[in-house]
This record gives sequence, structure tokens and C-alpha cells, in this order.
Amino acid sequence: MTTNPDQTKPPAPPITITAAKEPSTLDVSVGPQHPGSGHMRILMRVDGDYIVSVDPDIGYVHRGCEKIAEYRTAVSNIPHLERPCIIDAIHLNWGYVLPIQELQGVVVPPRGQYISTIAAEMNRIMSHLYWLAINAGVFSGHTTIFMYAFGDRDLFIELAEMLTGARLTYSFLPPGGPRRDLPAEFQHRLLQLLDYFERRLVEYDRIFLSNPLVVARAKGVGILKREEAIKLGVTGPVLRGSGVKYDVRKVEPYGAYADLDFEIPTFEEGDSYARFLVRFEEMKESIKIIRQALEKMPKGPIARKAPLIIPEGEAIGRVESSRGELTYMVKGDNSDKPSRVKIMNGSFRSLIAFPYLLRKVHIADMPIIYGSLDYWPLEADR
Amino acid sequence: MANQSPTREEDLVNKLKTRFPEAIKSSKIEGKRRISITFDKDKLLDIAQFMRDELGFDHVKGVAGVDDPTHKKIEVLYFTGSLSKPEIEDIILVLQTELARDNPTIATAVSVWESAHFHERETFEMFGVKFEGHPDLRKLLTLDNWDGPPPMLKDIKFPEMGQR
Amino acid sequence: MYALWPVHITTACCSAEFGAMMGPRLDPERFGLQAVAGSLRQCDLLIVEGTVTKKMAKRLKIVYEQMAKPRYVVAMGDCACSGGLFHDSYSIVNDVHKLFPVDVYIPGCPPRPEALLSAMLKLREKIRREEVFA
Repeated sequence: MTTNPDQTKPPAPPITITAAKEPSTLDVSVGPQHPGSGHMRILMRVDGDYIVSVDPDIGYVHRGCEKIAEYRTAVSNIPHLERPCIIDAIHLNWGYVLPIQELQGVVVPPRGQYISTIAAEMNRIMSHLYWLAINAGVFSGHTTIFMYAFGDRDLFIELAEMLTGARLTYSFLPPGGPRRDLPAEFQHRLLQLLDYFERRLVEYDRIFLSNPLVVARAKGVGILKREEAIKLGVTGPVLRGSGVKYDVRKVEPYGAYADLDFEIPTFEEGDSYARFLVRFEEMKESIKIIRQALEKMPKGPIARKAPLIIPEGEAIGRVESSRGELTYMVKGDNSDKPSRVKIMNGSFRSLIAFPYLLRKVHIADMPIIYGSLDYWPLEADR
Repeated sequence: MANQSPTREEDLVNKLKTRFPEAIKSSKIEGKRRISITFDKDKLLDIAQFMRDELGFDHVKGVAGVDDPTHKKIEVLYFTGSLSKPEIEDIILVLQTELARDNPTIATAVSVWESAHFHERETFEMFGVKFEGHPDLRKLLTLDNWDGPPPMLKDIKFPEMGQR
Repeated sequence: MYALWPVHITTACCSAEFGAMMGPRLDPERFGLQAVAGSLRQCDLLIVEGTVTKKMAKRLKIVYEQMAKPRYVVAMGDCACSGGLFHDSYSIVNDVHKLFPVDVYIPGCPPRPEALLSAMLKLREKIRREEVFA
């Protein structure tokens, strides 16, 4: 029994309640057929040109990954668990094997950590280029940047194919370390590509970020203040665009990040333009990280042999994926199949920003806010 | 060694135990940055309010249900973290409680941690846990996808699953 | 029927390779493929990319019915062909061909964008051979 004086004050109504239907409002359904990137539906209640409230309706791509994970062995789970966000597959893979390695007591050797880091940062650049092309570009009607970004993304995919053997679905990190070492030509070609890409980022800035139309549409739109971002529990670039400097690579370093020198771009304004800038700067930081990792690459084995059984116990592991903090909880019961896998990813945590930000804005602001949140429906639905 | 100053994790656990001596049933510190606390399910709101206002755990990363048919219980885990206090921002504190398997109900944490809104909806439809007081408890992911009993329970077996 | 306008249902992960096909590397616009149609009535090609869940299957059928004839369907990816990686999940529809007739199946997980473009060309061959007013 507590006698907290604050309990007498009625709690504030949660922001996710849909507004009541008035005679002047109209219900508009955005989606479910391809509202943007992947399927979800936003039921908007609009009054003239203003959105009064929204109700996100998800589940159109719910494939039951968590249930399937209990029926597949620990290693054959990797292709399943990297499909939710296929453009960010290394991070989804890495987050899953971190708790398994902790339970099994396997330590990846340093060269393996460096190779995983390089693959992960390449994946971050690829995922942000996809975001730039579709979520920031096509959503705001800027199809030029779609062509530019997809052209450059294909160059990175070629290099990833050289390293892992697959274009998008790498399955590169089984428990114990990466599958393959760096091929002979890889370092030279990657450094060439990074030099080229740095020059292209300047062009992207001129075409897209400094484009007066984009600035007019994105600046001051969808402002998420710092305290609200913390209260809603969002993560990733959405959080860093609101002034909270939080990145799992600095908070709980994994891989080779403890030895490398990089910044966490954070912006204070909290509007959509700030979220655009965060991802842009992250691409520049990824280039820096890859260059350092290639320079400091240690010699030695790349992987240790890991057992096929997950011992009894429960472990939590997390990585910083392109969409935020990706946390896995894996529970083992001394068999080769995990007994529970719980996935907490950045997209599902950003879902609560939809009913929060899409109130009292113009309908035309909706694609910009949606694009700046970088919500990937497949990842949220799993 | 005696007389060693307590680590941050031990300090947090001690504060919780002094404040709620009977409601905290057990605690476990698993290495650095991981604390696991098992509590009595009726005291959820008091503990959550204390954690948010005094200790600084201001958001929920996820709410997981774990089914345990042999012991006839469903566990609900709240993964909490802190974004406003830099000195504890790397800690994940897991609040764990047990519910009876045939009628799992617990008060909702949305009034304290608004970030738990959609996570609780998902746990409701996947495990059948009823969160009392939730403003909008309805199916989220399985709305037109699956009409049967909560699919994540262990005795809901899909016979084709895992076969080739 | 030389320029097929797709309405692409980015059901699941294969959409990333559809996007790669629409990019500048392969340039499908030279074959007439442009994802520009604002209304479903103007599209003639439904590309089912990836896993079809039960929730989405109802909406897929509605989209298919809204397209004006002649209309063609391409099932892209293992999941659209026969269920694929997630074939045993509880919320998946394995047989897309029970919803509507499929013209071209493209296996792969995900299929390469070159495979998708080659499927478009095969579809054009098929259209050329069939009679429109049958």
C-alpha cells in the first residue's frame, strides 16, 4: 500500500487512443496495398486537410518467426531470423548469435570480430541507401535519388557477394565466427569503392539534403521532443534525431567497436530533417569505421568451432542495427533447438511514434514522417 | 573481499529490495549490465513507479511471454532500460513474474511506461495474457491471420512444423 | 501488349530485389516496365513478391479483381511459388495459384534481379503467343 500523493492525480490519457468520430471527419485507409515499403495499414481519421488521429494496423506480413524459431535447430534458424529485415541481414544474424555464444561459452577470435564489423558496417551503408532511395526519396516524390542510391547500392552488394557468396541473405555469422575469410581482391576493391562513395555523398547532399523542396517539406515537421522520445521508448536514428546520444556500439561494445574511433551523430531538433541528417552522417561514420578496421585487421583464425547444443539458461544480446537497438533473448534447454527466442527490434519500438506524431498535421506531411521513422513492416511483424 | 563498495547493479538491487522487501522474490545479477528481478505480480504498478521515478528506468524495450506447461505457469518479462541517466544507460533490468497458466492476468504497465503499449497487445494475442486496464487491448498481428487459441503456447503444436 | 505496367505487391523480402531490378543497373524501362500507374485499373501485371499471409491474401484477391483484363500474374520467390522457407507457419498461404491463375513462377530466395527481368521477357513471349480475344 503506497501513499504516494501523485496517485491522486488522474493519469494522462495515453496518446494511442483513436479520436472520436465527429461528423466532420472522414476515415481514410492508407494501404494495405503498398503504402510505401512493405505492407501495413494506417487508418487515418482526417478533418479536411488535417489528420486528427491514426490507428496503425499491422500484421500483414506476420510470418510467425518466433514460433518457427522453436522448431528449427539453432544454426538453421539463422536464415529465418535474417529474413525479417533482409536489407540488414548481418545485424539480425549477429544479434541472434551473441546470446547463443554467451550460453555456449564460445569466444570469437579477434580477426573474426573485425571481419564481422566490416560486414556489419557495409550492411549499414546498404540499408541506409535503401532508406534514402525509397523512404526518403520516393515517399517525398524524389525519384532521382532513388536511381542514384540504388545504383550505388548495387556496387556494395557486388562486394558483399564477393565476401559471403550471396547478394542479400548472407547467413554469414554462425555461432563461433564468420564463415569465410576476406578474399584476395576484397580489401583493394572495398577501399576503391569507399573513395568513390565519399564523393557521391557530396552529390547526394546537393541533390537531396540541400534541395529546397526537401528542406521545406521536412524541416519542422513531425517534431519529437527529447523527453517524449525517451518516454515512448523509440530507438535508433529516431532517438538520436531527438537529442539522445545512445548507440549500442558505444554503450555495450561488441565486435571490434571498442578499438575503433567513431562518432555518434546526434541532432537536437527532433524533426524529420534531423532524422534524415542522422542517417546521412551515419553513412559517413561507417566509411571511417571500415577504413580503420581494414587497416588494423589482426592476423589469426577467424572462427572457433561451436557446439550444436544450446546449454540450459537464458541470455540477452543486442546490436545496433540500422533501425535501432536490436535485442534478442534466447532461452536454451540443453537441446539443439532454442526453447524461446524473443526479438525486440527498432521498427516495432518505433510503431508507437505513429499515433503520437501523426496528429494535427497535414495529410501531405504523413509520407515524410513515415519515411523519416524508417519503419520496416516486415521487421516489426516478424 | 569484504568491504568492497557495491557495483551499480548491486546498488540498484539493494534499493529495490529495501523498498519492497516482500514483493521482490528473488534477484540475479548475470555478469555486467544484466539484472533479473522476480517479483509478485500484484505489486507491478508500485514497483514500476518506483523504478521510473527513483531509479531512472524510463522505458520498456519489450514484453515477452514464456510458456512453461510443466510448472503450469506463464512468465511475463519486462525488459527495461534507462535513457535519461547516463550512468546506468547500459543496464538491462528484466522484471519477471509468474502467472497462472489457466487464467493469466496482470495489471497493465502502460500508465507508468507508455512504451509498453504495443508490446502488451502482442503478448495478449500470442499468450492469452490479459492486461487489466490496458486502453486498447485487441489483436495486433494475428487479426486476420490466425483465429485459433494463442499461437505461442507450447501445447499448440503445428504438426507440420519442423518436418520436411 | 508490349509495355507491362506492374502493380507490385511488396508482400515480403523479395521486394528488395524488385527494387534492385527497377534501378538503373538493369533499367526495365527500356522494356516498358514502369511502376507509374496510380490506379490499379491501368496496371496489367501483378507481381506477388514473397510470402503471402492470410491477412494479405484477402487484399491480394481484391487487388487482382480490380485490375482490368487482360491481366497477368508473376509469382516471384520461393514463398510465392510454394510457401518457401516459411511453409509450415500458421499464418501463411502456401498455394497462391488457388487465389488466381499464375503465369510465370520464379524460384529463388530471393531471385536475382536478372532472373526477374528474364521472367518479364518470358512473359512477353507468352503473351505474344496467346490470343487476346480467346
